[in-house]
Formats: sequence, C-alpha cells, structure tokens
Amino acid sequence: MKKFAHFNARSIDEAVSYLNRYGGKAHVIAGGTDLLGKMKDEILPKYPEALVNIRTIPGLEFVKEEGRALRLGALVRLEDIGKDAIVNKNYTALAEAARKTASPHIREMGTIGGNLCQDIRCWYYRNPHNRFPCLRKGGGRCYAIEGDNRYHSIFGGSVEEGCYAVHPSDTAPALIALNGRLKTSKRMLNAEDFFEVGVERTTVLDRDEIVTEIEIPTPEADTKSAFLKFAIRKSIDFPIVNCAAMITSKGGKVTDARICLNAVYVIPYRAKKAEEAILGKEISEKNAEAAGEAAVSDAKPLKDNRYMVQIARILVKRSILACK
Amino acid sequence: MERDKYIPDTFRILGKRGTRRIDGFRKASGTAVYTRDIILPGMLYAKWLTCPYPNAKIISLDTQRAEELPGVRAILRYDDPEVYGRRIPTLQGGEEDILAGYAYFQGQQVGAVVAADTEEIADEALKLLRVTWEKRPFILEAREALEPGAPLTRPEWRPKSNLMPLFFQPTDTFRFGDVEKGFKEADRIIEFKARRRYHGCSDAEPVSGITRWEGECAELWLHHQHPYEHKWMMNMWFGIPMSKVKINAPYNGAMFGGWNWIDYSMVPQYVSALLAKRTRKPVKWIFDRRDDFTFGSLDAMESEFKVGFKEDGTITAVKIKTYFENLSFEAGLHFVENTKIPNVESQTLVAQVNKGPVHAIRCEQLPPAFAAIHVFNHVAAELEMDPIQLALKNDGAEGEDIVKLEDFKRKHGFPLRDSLRECVEAGKKAIGWDEKWHAPGAHKLPNGKMHGMSFIWDHEWDDNRGAGAAGLMIQQDGSVSIIALRSDVGVNAESTYCQIVAEELGMRPEDVFLRQQDDVHLPLMTPDGSCNLTTNGYVMKKVAKRAKKKLLELATTTVHMIERDVPPAFPDMNPEDLDIKDSIIYVKKDPSIKKTVAEVVKDVKGSFMQKHEYGAIQNTTHEPIYAWAWHRQGRLGKEPGRQRLCRQAHFCEVEVDPETGEVEVTKVVNVNDVGKAMSPETVEGQQYGGTYMGIGRNRSEEYIWDPKTGVLLNGNLVDYKFASMRDVGPIETVIVETSLGLGPYGSVGIGEDVATDTTNLLQGAVYNAIGKWVDDGPITPKKVLEALGKA
Amino acid sequence: MKDSPNDKSRYLCPYCARVFDALEDLKTHVFAEHKDEPLRRPEGLIRLKINGEVHEVQVEPNWTLYQLIHDELGLTGAKMFCDRGACGSCTVIMEGRPILSCMTLAIECDGMEIETVEGIAAKEHPLIESYVKHHCMQCGYCTPGFVVTAKALLDRNPDPSEEEVKDALAGNLCRCGTYPQHPKAVLEAAQVLNARREVKNDA
Repeated sequence: MKKFAHFNARSIDEAVSYLNRYGGKAHVIAGGTDLLGKMKDEILPKYPEALVNIRTIPGLEFVKEEGRALRLGALVRLEDIGKDAIVNKNYTALAEAARKTASPHIREMGTIGGNLCQDIRCWYYRNPHNRFPCLRKGGGRCYAIEGDNRYHSIFGGSVEEGCYAVHPSDTAPALIALNGRLKTSKRMLNAEDFFEVGVERTTVLDRDEIVTEIEIPTPEADTKSAFLKFAIRKSIDFPIVNCAAMITSKGGKVTDARICLNAVYVIPYRAKKAEEAILGKEISEKNAEAAGEAAVSDAKPLKDNRYMVQIARILVKRSILACK
Repeated sequence: MERDKYIPDTFRILGKRGTRRIDGFRKASGTAVYTRDIILPGMLYAKWLTCPYPNAKIISLDTQRAEELPGVRAILRYDDPEVYGRRIPTLQGGEEDILAGYAYFQGQQVGAVVAADTEEIADEALKLLRVTWEKRPFILEAREALEPGAPLTRPEWRPKSNLMPLFFQPTDTFRFGDVEKGFKEADRIIEFKARRRYHGCSDAEPVSGITRWEGECAELWLHHQHPYEHKWMMNMWFGIPMSKVKINAPYNGAMFGGWNWIDYSMVPQYVSALLAKRTRKPVKWIFDRRDDFTFGSLDAMESEFKVGFKEDGTITAVKIKTYFENLSFEAGLHFVENTKIPNVESQTLVAQVNKGPVHAIRCEQLPPAFAAIHVFNHVAAELEMDPIQLALKNDGAEGEDIVKLEDFKRKHGFPLRDSLRECVEAGKKAIGWDEKWHAPGAHKLPNGKMHGMSFIWDHEWDDNRGAGAAGLMIQQDGSVSIIALRSDVGVNAESTYCQIVAEELGMRPEDVFLRQQDDVHLPLMTPDGSCNLTTNGYVMKKVAKRAKKKLLELATTTVHMIERDVPPAFPDMNPEDLDIKDSIIYVKKDPSIKKTVAEVVKDVKGSFMQKHEYGAIQNTTHEPIYAWAWHRQGRLGKEPGRQRLCRQAHFCEVEVDPETGEVEVTKVVNVNDVGKAMSPETVEGQQYGGTYMGIGRNRSEEYIWDPKTGVLLNGNLVDYKFASMRDVGPIETVIVETSLGLGPYGSVGIGEDVATDTTNLLQGAVYNAIGKWVDDGPITPKKVLEALGKA
Repeated sequence: MKDSPNDKSRYLCPYCARVFDALEDLKTHVFAEHKDEPLRRPEGLIRLKINGEVHEVQVEPNWTLYQLIHDELGLTGAKMFCDRGACGSCTVIMEGRPILSCMTLAIECDGMEIETVEGIAAKEHPLIESYVKHHCMQCGYCTPGFVVTAKALLDRNPDPSEEEVKDALAGNLCRCGTYPQHPKAVLEAAQVLNARREVKNDA
C-alpha cells in the first residue's frame, strides 16, 4: 500500500480532532476489512493521507439490553452479534444478518458500525487505480448503465447523481426492519435516515462524525423478525439480494410490518408497498406472495438484472413467511 | 507400449491406506516453502506496467520521474535495444514478445518493467511512468472477431485476420467417417447450442520467480511446472551452459497446467534474469493477484451441434461447429476415443479476441468432454432414455463397439473386464439411481425445490506420455534417497514414488525419501497430462530393481580394499538366495538369518583413522549403492491402435429452487477406474478435489469484461468466485480397479479427468430438475430463472 | 462526508487526550498532571508477542500484519493468496480470534498476542498430525490458514459438531478442493485434545 500517517485515537474527541486537522483527507478505520481493500487497489481519486484508528477508543464495544432497547457499541464485532443469545432471541433479524455476513474471519474483524458505513462494491467504482472515474467519485458518468449491470439497482438510480450501485450491507436492512437508530458523535438518527448517496459517500455522516452506538427498541410481544440472504456462494459473498422483516401479528392478523430489501437499490429499500399489502392480513403463502409482488411493483430493472426482481419478490415473500 | 509385466498378486505397501505423506507435516506446519515466501539478501522486486486498454499501442513512454524515485534500480523499456521487437522461443512450442510496446488485452504486461528495492516502490514507480497510448478497437466475442471486415485484435501478430492457426490439430475440420451418411441412417436428428464462458484463475499462489547470477552461473527459483526445462531455455536465451544453471523448485501453490503452457509464462523469468544481470542483484519478478488474471482456460467456446441417432439410442452421427476464444482443442475427440459413434465431423474456428491467452487448465480435454457430455445429455432427453443405458449402448472406440476393446484386451494380456459397466454399477448403487431417477421436471420436493439427477461418463485419462529420470542412493544409515528434480503440485506424487521404491526395493516406506526441490540434474516427468505417475512410476520400478540388485550383490560379495578384505554380510550366499522386506535383508530359506539394510551398507571402520562406526570420508570400504533409470512412456496423447480401456462415471443430485434459480448440489458420486490405486487417499483427493473444481467453476466462475471498454471487471477473488466448502454437498468417491491401464501395475491417471468432466455434471441435472436446458456455463441463478421464464 | 464548518483547532494532551481550547491551558495541565510520565514511544514502534515470544519492531503505518510476520519476521506459514480478505490463507490468531493478517495493519497490533501456524506446530497441537493423516493438503498453500482457523475454533469450542466445523472453515478457500477432509481432521483433533484433558483431570 501507499504510505499514510496513522493515529491510534484514545477518545472520540481525539479522533474528531484528527479528522478535522486533515480536512477530509483522513479516514476512520475500525475493522479495516473494507477500507484496506480500497486502499490496496487505490480505487479513489485521492488516497487518504491519514488513518484514525477508533478501535483504541474504550467504551464502544458492548452489547446490553436495558430500558426496553438493545444497545450495541459501534465497535462490536459481527461474529459476537451473531452469537449473542439475546440478539438471537429478541432481535433475530440482526443476528441472522450478522451471521450471514461475509466469512467467519471478516466477522471477527468487522464491526457493526463499519458494516453499516461500508462503501459500495460496484465493480466499476472498485476497479483498481480509479480506472472508471465515475459519478460516485465526482466524475461525469455512470459506467454501469451501458456496461455489465447484473448486480446493480433494480429500482433506478440515485435521485441526484444517477448512480446505480447498490448498497451491499447485510446488517443495514435488518436494522431498518427492526426500527433501529444510530447514535453518532453529534446526533441521533433513525436507521432509515442514515443512508444517503453522495460523492464517495454512503451515509449522511459529516466528515468529522463517527457512529458510536446502535440502538434497537425491544420489539413488542407477538413480534418476529427474520433475515434472508441470496448470494452465489454460501460464504464470503456480498448479497445479490437480501431482505429483513419484522412483523407483529395479533389475532392471526398482521398489525405491524417493516420490510426492508437491500442490494437492490442505492440505499436500503424499505418495501412500503409490501408492508401495506400484508397489513391486516394473515401470514399465508398467498398473502406473502402478493406482498412480494407489491414490493417489486416499482422495479425498473436494467438490461442485465431482471432476474433480481424475481429474487427480491421471493425474498420478501419468504421473509414474511419466516415471521409467522 | 506394453502392459506392465511385473504386477505382483499382493502388495505390502501400495494400495494400502494410512501411508504417511512425505510433504504432509511440512505443509500443515507452515514450514513448506513456496517461491512467494523467498526473500534473498539484496533482492529487488520487478513489476510490470499493465495496459489499461484492451487493444492499444504505446506512442510515448517517459520513465524519467520513475527513474528518479529513490529505491528504483533499473527500468527496462520496451524499446531497449536488448528487447525491442524481439521474441524469444519458449518451450511451449511458440514464442513471445519479451516486452511488447502494444497490448491485446486489458491488464497485459507490456511497455516497461521496474526493478526496485520493495514492491511498494516498484508500484509507486509504475504510477510515475507517463505513457500515451494509441487506443485501437477491441473485440471480445469470437464470432464478431471472425466477421469480414472486423478490426484486427492483435495486429502485430495477426496482420491479416483474427482467425488463429490451430495448435493441436492439422486442419480446421476433423472428420471421422461420413456424417451425411450417418444422418441418413438416423431415425431422429436434433440440433442445439451450448456455451462455456472464459474462466481460469488457477493459481492459489500468484506467480513469481527469482533469478540470481553468481558470476557466469545462474540460479533460478521457479513457480512453474517445468523447472528443468528452464535450464535449456537459459542456454537458448543467454548462451550459458545448462551445467551452470541451478534450479530450485519450491512447493507450488496450486498449479493446474494453465500458466505453465502459456508461451508467456517463461518470459518473466527471462526479464528477471536480464534485470539481475544489469543490477547485479537477485531479482524477483512478481505478479500481484490482479496481474495474475492474465490467462484462462481453453474452453471459452460456443458450439452448434447436430446429432443423428436411432430409436434404440445408437448415435449415428455427430456434427459440431465451435467458435473458440484464443485457443482450441479438438471437440470431437472423445466421440472417437471412447464411443462407437461411426461418424463425427467437428469444425473448429479459433478467433483472437482481446482477452488473455488460454491453455489447458485441468485440462485440455475440457472441449471434447463438454461436447460429448452435452450430446449424450440431449440425446438421452430426446429419447426419454436413461442416460446410463445410452452410455452403455454407445461405449466403444473408433467407431466400433466394445467388442473392439475386448479384442485389444485379449491381444495385450489385459483382464476382460468391462470398465464402464463396473463403474456404472458401483455408482448407481452409491447414489440410488434406480430408486431416484425420474423424468425431467417430475419431482418436486416437500421443500418446494425441484429434484434433479445427472450421469456423465468418459474414458479415464491415460495419456501415457513423457519421460523421466531418477537416481537412487542408499545412504550410510540405510535410508534411501530418490534423486530427482520435479515440481510438486500437491498430488502426493512424491510420496507415491517413495512407496513404489519401498515396495520394489523391500524397504519400509518411512525409510525412503525424495526431496524434489533441489537441482540434482535428473528430471522426472513433469506434473502434466495426468500421466506422471504412469511414467515416473516406471522410473521408480526400474531404479528400485537396479538398486536392489546392487544391494544384494554387496551383501554377498567380499569387498577387496587396499588395507583389508571386508567379508560379505551374508557369506556363502548368492544374491538370489536373499530378499528384502521392511528394510531387512534375509535368507529366503531361513528368514531368521537376517541383517538390516543399514547394517549391510554401513561403512564399518571407514572413517579417517578414527574409530567411528560411520565412515565415508577417506577410508570408505565400498562404493555407494547408487543406481539410476530413465523411462519413456509413449507418444503425446495416444498411439494409433492403442485404446483407452478404463472409464469414469459421475453422478449428482441437485435441488433447484424454481423461484430463485439457485442450484444446490446435494450429492455427488465419483467413480473412477484407475486400473490400480497405488495410493487410495491420493486418488480420492483427485476425485473430490476435482469435483469441487469442476462443479465449482461451472456454477460461479467466469471472467467478466466491461463490454464498452474491454476492462476486466472481476479480477479479484471477491468477484471471481471459487467454490467454498459449503458450495458443494457430500461427495462419495468410489475407486474401481480393473488393471486395464498401461501404467505400472495396470494403472492409469486421475489428476485432471474428474475436474474436467464434472465441469459438465450440472447441465443434465438442471434439465432433469426443471425440464429446461441451461447450456451456458457457468449455470447461474440468472440463467436458470431465464430458462424458467421468470426473468 | 458532507462539508461542515471548520472547527477551531483544539489542543490535545499527548498523554491522556484531554482537549483544551488554549495552548496555555494545555501546558499548565501537562506540567501539573504528567510531569513525571515517560515520553510516549515513537510512532510505529510496537511491541507484540508472537507464539509466546516478544518482538519489538519499528513498523511503517502502511505495513499489514502479514507483511510484518511474513516478510520481516520470516514466519512464512501465513500465505498470500487473494490479498483482499476473501480466502483465509493469511489467518493468524489475535486476541483469540482468527483474523486476516493481510487486512490488518501492523501498527495497530501493539500489545497484542498473536499465534501463527508455526506456534501451533511447535506446541505439537494434534491438529497438525490429524491434518497430515487425513490428507487435508494437496498443494499445501491454503493449509496453514485452515489449521490456524481450526485451532481458533477448538480453543473456544472444544467439542464442535461437524456443522460447526464447516461453519468455522467456510471462509477458507482451497483451489485443490481438499474441503471434505477438513471436518474429519478437526473432529479427530478435538477427540485427541478431549482425551488428553480427561487424562489430565483424572491424574
């Protein structure tokens, strides 16, 4: 890798201070499993001048259920989330999403904060040495539109930039389905409001803002959650489509539904039409199928990714059924 | 070539399980060394400029800023007088540019090579090069490249058209019999297409190599299957005598042919030798993982089939037309080699496209296996016939049925066993074929998925080619050294050679060792063609026999030395009175009279006026027990008249999710008739290992280029997907031993054929599951959904 | 990240990272609170324990842990296969976790305890022998990565099921296809370890 300066931060303040000092040319590093790959390939027009290690900041790695909420420090490893008994029992979708992320090794290194903040995997964006200076890097065009877009967005491009790269996280849709929130060094955000498309940006975070905690309200009684992932290989792979659902059923009818797809759009895709379709109904094969149909009713597939519409349809159906 | 005449009825070591691998501990403990691990004092790292475009020529190259970077020791430019416009001959039968000023695929190593103190500095220097390129139009598809008026894809090499000369065959149309006649005799004729897309990426260890000059002598470290051959090439290239070239052949991180057969594979070593001369330091040339995506497999092909057959399943004619990318292998071959199909016509059109060179990646038989398996799949489906019955119906060779094979077996003293039938019976039982096989699309499982099964068959590879030499020395302590240079690719060959020697010489396996990494000048057959055990096995048999003779002579002969006569270990005996077992020499008539081999060879009171027991310095009693042997096994491929008698059969079960297109492989059965399994665990390793590679690569491996720019999009191991542990279900391996091989003890090869054939195992299973063909590899969920009309 | 108004530069205490708005305040604080504290070690000088042995090394920030152990310290068991965290061949055990040394910065390993395949072999861990016995290697390039990952599993879960073994090794790639053998070897090593433990407990 090319050279850079490195700082082990001992507090949030110290980390923020470094980020400000470098004015956008410094990056936060936690697990490093995303960032180091980007740096080895030098995919971005500007290489970071400094890395600020936040894993040396104490107090950001904990799993607690208290006050009717689950609180996770942003530095909790995905493997630990996947194995945690409380997360598995009460916040199932998140545990399943964490367990299905990448590989055991990546999960031992990768943090929940990092997984939510991770960058897109579009193979044009990620081509080494900035071979494709695309919209997402401040360049002029999207190369996927005319190129090979078999893994790109089926719901159109991002509103402002016209980027079609999907968001690749497994935990993000789970967090949204579970109505989670993120606490940063500056504010509290709903998970749904956390993701945004910009130049070299996948979140609304300021350059000097760091995620510190994740909070998930304890689901009410009679609520189940589930997460499904579709990928080519059974391990290591990013999702082609994934789906998380949290559904409350009372008296055999759905009273609350939150369904979130990911890897199908530029940010995690809340399948509101599917939620509307299943509300008030019982969870049956037929109703779940209709909800799946509704979920993709707005799909605008590209030339190579029609098949993703079918998979999204099916994952919505199956994740609803898994919440029975 | 004759059948092995010396096949014992029983074996002490060979064929038994539990014999320890000689490389196992080193590999498990991390002490085995690979070229990638080696760092020499003062060593420089050499890295190449790679072309960002799929078809381009350098207009200008400014190296000044790179030269000024501290730590850069040399930059070789394409227009350097020593390399400009020069092509060097390579052992693969061709030649290649040493350092071209033009590229024909994105990522090709061209233009400049930087030698620097560290890899980072070399990378930095490459970025400081200022290059201007003339971009030329590019073509990625073979058909397009062969259209009239198509722009030239590699103009400096093919200035007239993109049609490439054939490498493995004399004409572009292979003819056997008369297909038109065959079609007239057919009851039915079907036509269909099938395709396999460019794939490769075979090295776990990205390629690298080191050259170091010591005065006028050269020392090389090679991650290459042909190490000894590099001596010859150094002589060709630099004029130094082969006797002054020393080769090191460290362990290799996965080598499956491929790279080693690409003409270019020797060029980086030449460049490192040149740079090592100029800088007077050892130079390691190095490809990183992206650089390593620089070649592929020679089955990037698109075939059109026309097949004629009778109602009873007799296939009367097969006509194929195939477009290949960059290299081909005769697609019609297996019809002639192991079926009775009397009429075959296969046209091959090879187009130079703007993708990296291709060659045999486990192995060159991929095209004929692809063709044969697709034909049998489609004919069986059309007739609604059990594919096993179809196979048995058409087994044979050179247009004649198995009676021809029986005649051959009789003539050459082989047992009269029907290999295919035996393989099929064993496999059917293992997978439960009779209970489970069903009509296409007919079996939906309780979990909603569609159940499918497939059966494929082929001959068992027995190229029986190559030559090898080895020495054998019995050390003063009775341990046996096999003396040979060979590149290891992990197929447990070295251990098996030791076991053969142990068997033939009468030693315990743990007393025989081969250290093949060192340049001891005698080269064993290279790990190619699934035939090195058959060739090197004979070398081991011969050399062990010769050594045994010398050992027993020493045991029974008085040795007359200057100071004294040393009486024999077994006085008043002849060599034929003795035998050896478990490293002990004993009298046949009275085995209680015995001495260990160590005792017999030990040089008593031999040291330099000292009373040590061990000698071998200046007072040595007897000459070393040393023997050597050379063996050549046969012609490349198959001699006229020689038949392939052994068969292999593979079965699989899949569950296809009709809603998502996911194909889950729930069971595989491999059945291989290897003639004789000298090391059962090794054979099995090639079976399940080959299955993981074969099935894996036809589910998820393809190189993906951007259609607009010709840039490789997935040149990394996140986006280029090898099978992981859970991507294939349980595999059951069955070994059949009919002794129908021409190799030692009746053996044939196993290294490549399972990987080759199982690459085509899923097509039939998917059809059986959903009643639709996905004849476009890799079989991805996208393609399955498209076949089902759901995408 | 979105532009934000530039914060006024603040002053960080190099000893305890407390933040001050004025330089004078920082100076006062340092003399009052940290007068006798030793100076921090130079950036990049790390001290870590590898296979039980202490190493003090000056590292560059851009070195990965793999480069440190493989190139600098000569522990060549960990292998470079994908160099992007997708294959498991560079695995080492750090803080009891199987992690990818090629995706870890050496400079972030100060104070860490690391175990490599060489350490596991030196301890004569039963995994080594069972790997040899079950032919878990062909070319051998991925083997150390599997051994280390399996060892990390057995350290935490001494009695894994076959499914648990497969889950643990799901991130290790093998081009030669040795996969079916690994669960057998790991389960046998687990048995050996458990038997030893029982003997020890009985003694």
